[in-house]
Amino acid sequence: MKDKYRLNIPRLNILSREKLELIHLSTLEVLRRTGVAVKEPKAVEIFKKGGCYIEGERVRIPENLVEWALRNTPPRITLSDRNGNPAMFLEENNVYFGTGSDTPNIVDLYTGERRITVLKDVENVSKVVDYLDEMSFLMCSGIASDVNSKISDIYHFEAMVNYSEKPIVFTAWDLENLKTIVEMAEVVAGGKERLKNSPFIALYTEPISPLQLAEEATQKLMLMAEKYLPVVFTPCLITGATGPVTIAGGLIQGNAEILAGYVLANLINEGTPFIYGGGIIAMDMATSIACYASSEFMLASAAFTDMARYYRLPMFSFAGCSDSSLYDQQASLEGALRILLSSLSGGNLVHDVGYIDSGLTTSFEQIIVSNEVIGMVRRITQGFEINEETMALDLIDKIGPGGEYLTSEHTLKHFKENWYSELISRVPYEKWEEEGKKDLGIKANEKARHILENHTPKPLEEKLKAELRKIVKSRDK
Amino acid sequence: MDILEEIAIGVEKGDSNSVHALTEKALTQNISVGEILNNGLVAGMDVIGEKFKNNEVFIPEVLISAKAMKAGMELIKPLLAKANVESKGKVVIGTVKGDLHDIGKRIVAMLLEGAGFEVTDLGVDVSKEKFLEFVEKERADILGMSALLTTTMTYMKEVIEAVENANLKQDVRVIIGGAPITHSYAEEIKADGYAPDAASAIDLVKDLLKK
Repeated sequence: MKDKYRLNIPRLNILSREKLELIHLSTLEVLRRTGVAVKEPKAVEIFKKGGCYIEGERVRIPENLVEWALRNTPPRITLSDRNGNPAMFLEENNVYFGTGSDTPNIVDLYTGERRITVLKDVENVSKVVDYLDEMSFLMCSGIASDVNSKISDIYHFEAMVNYSEKPIVFTAWDLENLKTIVEMAEVVAGGKERLKNSPFIALYTEPISPLQLAEEATQKLMLMAEKYLPVVFTPCLITGATGPVTIAGGLIQGNAEILAGYVLANLINEGTPFIYGGGIIAMDMATSIACYASSEFMLASAAFTDMARYYRLPMFSFAGCSDSSLYDQQASLEGALRILLSSLSGGNLVHDVGYIDSGLTTSFEQIIVSNEVIGMVRRITQGFEINEETMALDLIDKIGPGGEYLTSEHTLKHFKENWYSELISRVPYEKWEEEGKKDLGIKANEKARHILENHTPKPLEEKLKAELRKIVKSRDK
Repeated sequence: MDILEEIAIGVEKGDSNSVHALTEKALTQNISVGEILNNGLVAGMDVIGEKFKNNEVFIPEVLISAKAMKAGMELIKPLLAKANVESKGKVVIGTVKGDLHDIGKRIVAMLLEGAGFEVTDLGVDVSKEKFLEFVEKERADILGMSALLTTTMTYMKEVIEAVENANLKQDVRVIIGGAPITHSYAEEIKADGYAPDAASAIDLVKDLLKK
């Protein structure tokens, strides 16, 4: 495990202890007073047994039950790679980045045109993520339109596990498909117990704002809790539409939605590896677009990360995403700001790298450029050492006024600690001109092509591959 | 391994002590100074120069190699003239009057030395009189000027005019560099060459001296 994932400078706190308490107590009040609508009767039954006040599908959760569940937080959630080796320690101040999921469109790498996503694109994104150093986990990025749409989620999983060794955060259309995907993961891991012991997958599922646990999402959450497998439960609340327009109100309502799911998971299995997180997304009141990169969303993500730390739960955060219709200056700047902020706040599982068009389109260029920005930001969050060697007082004295440091051993020994970018331009104008006047987007496009044309991810064992194929085929009717 | 090859590797690794010792040893073996220079010291610098262009090594590593080469050069320099080995070229270089910025010019000087040129570094805040004095004294092939400030770069023009007035324009090629300098400025003040960075400055000098 590399040190670079750990935040080595003070974490950015935007909520004081008092404000954290206030948000928490207010959330308890919402859960007690308003409660949540739970559309899955089995879940209502579990809440009832746990001591909740039930009226039909409305579940009101007492404070002590939430407090009990919060005492069960696992200290760390470890996600392994495909081979069962630990790859990510989701815990305080460890930051990992990955792609997003399920965009209907993609910008074609070779034509530059936006078109609908096909299965090959999911494979290609997996390959690129497998290659890139700063991408620690994989989500499918797009929805494949050229396979049986009822089980496209299963195809996505097969593609991801075949084309990358990195941990996978996946989506599933319904309980049946989820069962199939978990079965496939068990095959890859070498059995149920092995998968439970060193999971390389986490399910992404969500409550529906305001304050609803939908039938299928709840069933999926329950299955993961029963199996004691990692699950991300993340609302996508739109302020002013599906939640209060104010960040504080959105935060409290979203928190109530997450904690309702968290209580349910713990009533099923204490200490379920539950990943906290959520989007408090501002709606642009001129266009009705839910903005992925508004200042308010970024601020809310930072606040949510503070809440996650307060609860000692891993945070599912956002970065590298943009509202721009194409990969352009706006896409880079929005992507970069989100990367910086989610890093400084210490989000753990930071997803949506590569989203443009407010989450409707995947861009390879955005993934590649974000990978550079993450490297740059990691150098910042790594901080710097202060000791006798780095303070270099003897050297300063030896070189003296007017001297030079370029030929000193000290320089030679340490200059590589500086971070160097592959794509960010630092050449004089004439040289840049000579090299073909390429902007960042062109260079990112070339790099993505280079990866696709040259990188061969380590293939899955033939036997496992065939077994997965068989499972997929058996469901494709 | 051939001792010249060992010298080249010593230069490439930036190991001054071993380059010094090996050069001494080579001289006792009666290997000609021309061979030591070209097949040992310069050959090592060529490898490092190529690696630098391919982003495999960086400026501090090149400079350490240049330092190692210098350790060998010191020994053979007095013998070069006797042996009739022609120097690759003589360069007089400095930062122009009013400007105390040293480091960029220094990198160029060190890289030029590493490439086998004889370099006289006049330092910073150099007047046109001093430039002329050394161009004549050293019979320099190249006069290099550096400036970081837009307020001092205009002095380059004065130096070039002084070179013309002294009727030295035919004998010495004037090159300029520094952050605010552009190709068009070099043309405007009638410099013979300009390079945007240190590594290209070496290529520029080589090109100019071929002609």
